[in-house]
Amino acid sequence: MNQSLKIENLHVSVEGHEILRGMNLEVPKGQVHAIMGPNGSGKSTLAKAIAGHHDYEVTEGAVYLDGVNLLEMSVDERSRAGFFLAFQYPREIPGVSNANFLRAARQARLPKGQEIDAVAFYREMYAKMDGLGMDRKFTGRSVNEGFSGGEKKRNEILQMMMLEPQYAILDETDSGLDIDALKIVAHGVNSMRSADRSFLVITHYQRLLDYIVPDVVHVLFNGRIIHTGGKELALELEEKGYDWITKDAA
Amino acid sequence: MSLVVTSPEETTDRVIPWCHSAPISPTEGTVPDWYQELRKAAWTRFANIPVPVRTNEKWRFSDLQHLRFDDYTLASKLPSDLTSELINRAISERPEHFSAHFVFANGQLIHAETPALPESAVCVPLSDAFHSHPEQLREHFLKHEDFVGGDKFAALHASATLSGTFIYLPKATVIEHAILIHHFVGGANSMIFPHTLIVADQNSKVSVTEAFESVAENEETLVVGIADLHADHGGKIQYVALQDLSESGAKHVQLQHARAGRDAAIKIGYVNLGAEWVRNESINRMVEEGADCQVFSANLANRDQEFDQRTLQSHEAQHTTSDLYFKNALYDRSRTIFSGLIQVHPNAHYTDSYQSCRNLMGSEEAESNSLPGLEIDADQVKCSHGATSGTISEDEIFYLQSRGLPAEEARRMITLGFLNESIQRLEGDDLKTTLVERIERKFHSLS
Amino acid sequence: MSESATLEALAIERDTGNFSYPEDYEHNAGVGLTEDTLKYISDIKGEAEWIREFRRRALKVFNSKPMPTHWASKDLENIVFDEIRYYLSKGQAPKQNWEDVPDDVKKTFERLGVPEKERKFLAGVEAQFDSESAYSNVKEALSKEGVIFVNSTAGLRDYPDVFRPYFGKVIPTGDNKFSALNSAVFSGGSFIYVPPGVKVKHPLQAYFRINAENFGQFERTLIIVDEGAEVTYMEGCTAPKFETATLHSAVVELVAMKDARIQYITVQNWSNNVFNLVTKRGIAHENAEIRWIDCNIGSRLTMKYPGVVMKGRKARGEVISIALANTGQHQDTGAKMIHAADETTSNIVAKSISVGTGISTYRGLVHIPKNLKGCRNNTECDALLINTNSVNNTYPAITVRGNRHATQHEASVSQVSEDQIFYMKQRGLNEGEAMSLSVNGFVNDLVREFPMEYSVELKRLIDMEMEGSVG
Repeated sequence: MNQSLKIENLHVSVEGHEILRGMNLEVPKGQVHAIMGPNGSGKSTLAKAIAGHHDYEVTEGAVYLDGVNLLEMSVDERSRAGFFLAFQYPREIPGVSNANFLRAARQARLPKGQEIDAVAFYREMYAKMDGLGMDRKFTGRSVNEGFSGGEKKRNEILQMMMLEPQYAILDETDSGLDIDALKIVAHGVNSMRSADRSFLVITHYQRLLDYIVPDVVHVLFNGRIIHTGGKELALELEEKGYDWITKDAA
Repeated sequence: MSLVVTSPEETTDRVIPWCHSAPISPTEGTVPDWYQELRKAAWTRFANIPVPVRTNEKWRFSDLQHLRFDDYTLASKLPSDLTSELINRAISERPEHFSAHFVFANGQLIHAETPALPESAVCVPLSDAFHSHPEQLREHFLKHEDFVGGDKFAALHASATLSGTFIYLPKATVIEHAILIHHFVGGANSMIFPHTLIVADQNSKVSVTEAFESVAENEETLVVGIADLHADHGGKIQYVALQDLSESGAKHVQLQHARAGRDAAIKIGYVNLGAEWVRNESINRMVEEGADCQVFSANLANRDQEFDQRTLQSHEAQHTTSDLYFKNALYDRSRTIFSGLIQVHPNAHYTDSYQSCRNLMGSEEAESNSLPGLEIDADQVKCSHGATSGTISEDEIFYLQSRGLPAEEARRMITLGFLNESIQRLEGDDLKTTLVERIERKFHSLS
Repeated sequence: MSESATLEALAIERDTGNFSYPEDYEHNAGVGLTEDTLKYISDIKGEAEWIREFRRRALKVFNSKPMPTHWASKDLENIVFDEIRYYLSKGQAPKQNWEDVPDDVKKTFERLGVPEKERKFLAGVEAQFDSESAYSNVKEALSKEGVIFVNSTAGLRDYPDVFRPYFGKVIPTGDNKFSALNSAVFSGGSFIYVPPGVKVKHPLQAYFRINAENFGQFERTLIIVDEGAEVTYMEGCTAPKFETATLHSAVVELVAMKDARIQYITVQNWSNNVFNLVTKRGIAHENAEIRWIDCNIGSRLTMKYPGVVMKGRKARGEVISIALANTGQHQDTGAKMIHAADETTSNIVAKSISVGTGISTYRGLVHIPKNLKGCRNNTECDALLINTNSVNNTYPAITVRGNRHATQHEASVSQVSEDQIFYMKQRGLNEGEAMSLSVNGFVNDLVREFPMEYSVELKRLIDMEMEGSVG
């Protein structure tokens, strides 16, 4: 069985408009891939569709996680199967504290009847928060409520660190981050890189890729991958823009 | 003709006629047959509607002692020297810019000028409109049957001889300056029934201010007015009722309906200064997507005045918005009642609606009653309401005093500022200036 | 999310209380309500003439009062008073030892965990089974301090000097139709007296159980806390799910003397066939405090507006209210705050949740009459709607006379949004868990007001409501 996140001939429509038009991509376990592309190329659609958002209708194709079709699972099953999406715009959840939320998400991963070890949980959470430079007061605050853009993104990374997915998509995680916050977030992601875990980093700008260095860079345009290269491709795109590739594709 | 009223306490649900015959002037000109029929039906309805009783939720907290109209009759025509005096009064009070100005005295049109009315706009006395615009009148005139307690008054109004104005704006007609309408009432136990019908077609815009005043002090009078507003796709209407009747003897019932269509915007303003007893009913319906209604009120109550205001914000389509902001400053033994309901109908998803009533208590015996209500029956709704009552804090007074203002002046400034917050939400600098001046004038007569 | 999925996820599971034992009653007043019914009850209890007269007069008031359907739910018309049984019991004296309680009654309360809680953290327990209390016990140390904790029959019979002066004085018979009904046929409930200065550390608990079908439970509670004394009283209630409607109509009167404090906690979990029409009011004297903490999860229709009359200077009143209305339920709850002295303060915090086609209604009354100074009220009521066809109504009424007071009322209605649920699902929670977390988040600050043991139970109840069978 392939140990990978494999996207096969994926077609996705939003309100009847086809956004992804037969996309193919495979991220083998242990690798970091980046997807770049101009606005409107379908980058965020890809992330939401794989997560299973109800507004995104998959009309054709499949997404395999280690050979199992994710699209046949419900949203939460996909998560528990080891898939994580760091949202571009994380939701606020009034009244639900960060700590309770994470605990519930961790509890949901345990077999029925098994209770989470609260002491170990808090110890682990605090250690990871320290690594991200997050104040411990955050645990008592409602999820994302009243957080600055940078705080929200850091919180996404904290959740990822606590839930330890095998495959993670980072959707424009760099947006809204100043350079200091960007470094912290990138450090968090890098600390999680391992042979058992893959990342798909979606970004509009090359700057994130200075800090999270990808193994492979793809260019998404008009709902398909039209070009694939090494990490130097990102620099090339930053310099020359997208026109030199998209011209051929159009 | 006489109005026979039985004490509300003695009545439960018995049907008691308030008058023996409809308040119709024997001398009036011809009215179309369909209107005759409508009046007759209204008269029958009036006779069958019971008078308000204390157990009626729509009259909760109202002092029903005010609802005594023994021997009231339709107001009679005033002598010409008096009417010219009233015309001068009305002219002296009006702002510099206006597009039309109508003055009615005891139901008779005594003055009309239309200096800045676009050609496509229609602004005529109702009596003319029956003949000049029969189709529009038949479509819109007195069509409402939903009231928040005032249905008996509405029926009486519909059966009566009306004085009033028909305003019709065809597509894209924009009236720059406000239309002004004055209603004077005078004579012991006189009644008038002013009616305003505004129909604004697509993308048209108009602002109308209606003022209610007494000919003289200390006369028992009753005004039962109806204002009916229809704004079609993208239309904008602002309607302001400025009530400055005699504080002793005058009673005023103003029933207003607004119906906002797609992307239409309606603004309503109520300013109550005079009258012994006031009942305002404001029903605002957002019937198509994008409709918006905003209702504002600034009331200054003193002596034994009772201002009783009931409102409905009815959301009947998706993505509609409304706002309501009422302010009462109370002195002496005055009473205010604010009862407002935000109603979100099933399927009126994405409604955004607010409601707020604030009372500034200026004496030990004044009484405010607040009944803000919500009935939510839809999804993805943002609604909130608030009601407060309080007094000017000593800290605020102290702060102004420390800047050299006498305490009384400080109190006045803070109270005017309080009422002004509501006034400033209306449109038209001329109008806002007028309203603030009228409030200040009453303020000076206080203490 | 699809509505059917949500409704499924939120399906009611109230199995804790859904069981019953075959009927085996020594005393049964039969169906219908006449003077004979009252006589039957009085004869069994061996009541004094003044109580018999009190009941007879109440029946007349009840018959003369119309149903309050001009403002309240029309569902009230579905109560058929002629088909209800007004008194059912297995014998008179409540036992002070669980061993002496009849077997099926004992088993009932064991299944509901009452004896266990008593051992763990309660100062006294009263367990009522249909019309009469089957068990009543208060820790010896409290008895020695003069604390009285008995049922209504014993209270009026054995301590008339203590209770009679206040009985029916906080809530007069004619207060409303259902207080009149209760006054006619009351049986059971708790009569409590706490002597001056005695601070009862652990809560006193009453547990009300309906076992029989076509039955009405009409307990009567009167709590008098003397100067400087304190008590926390808690009541819980359950009934099996019967096909027919059951009526529960209690009257609860509290009297807090100078400097006294009463905290009255209710976790109402009646089954979905119960009409729960309860009148609750307290009088707070100088510098006294009365807090109603009221949680309504069960019943078909609940109408309950706990009130505080602040009669002495600096008295305080508070109502903390949580209501959860699921499909087939109408929670019509709220609060009444009557300020009757200077510098009195009241606080109302109400949160309601409507699920499926459930209806939650808040009705509030705040009254500050003339000639007072320095009164304050703060009211917050928030509603959370879960589904497209959930309904919330909010009807407060605030009357303020004079310029030396401050009142503030804020209310809001919000929704659990689809995107919020999606976000939580992406983190691996199923729909039920996500919903339950959001709802608990909404009521969390209020749940904290309950004593530890109860807040755990409350959270569990809310979880059950929200989670249902989705695993």
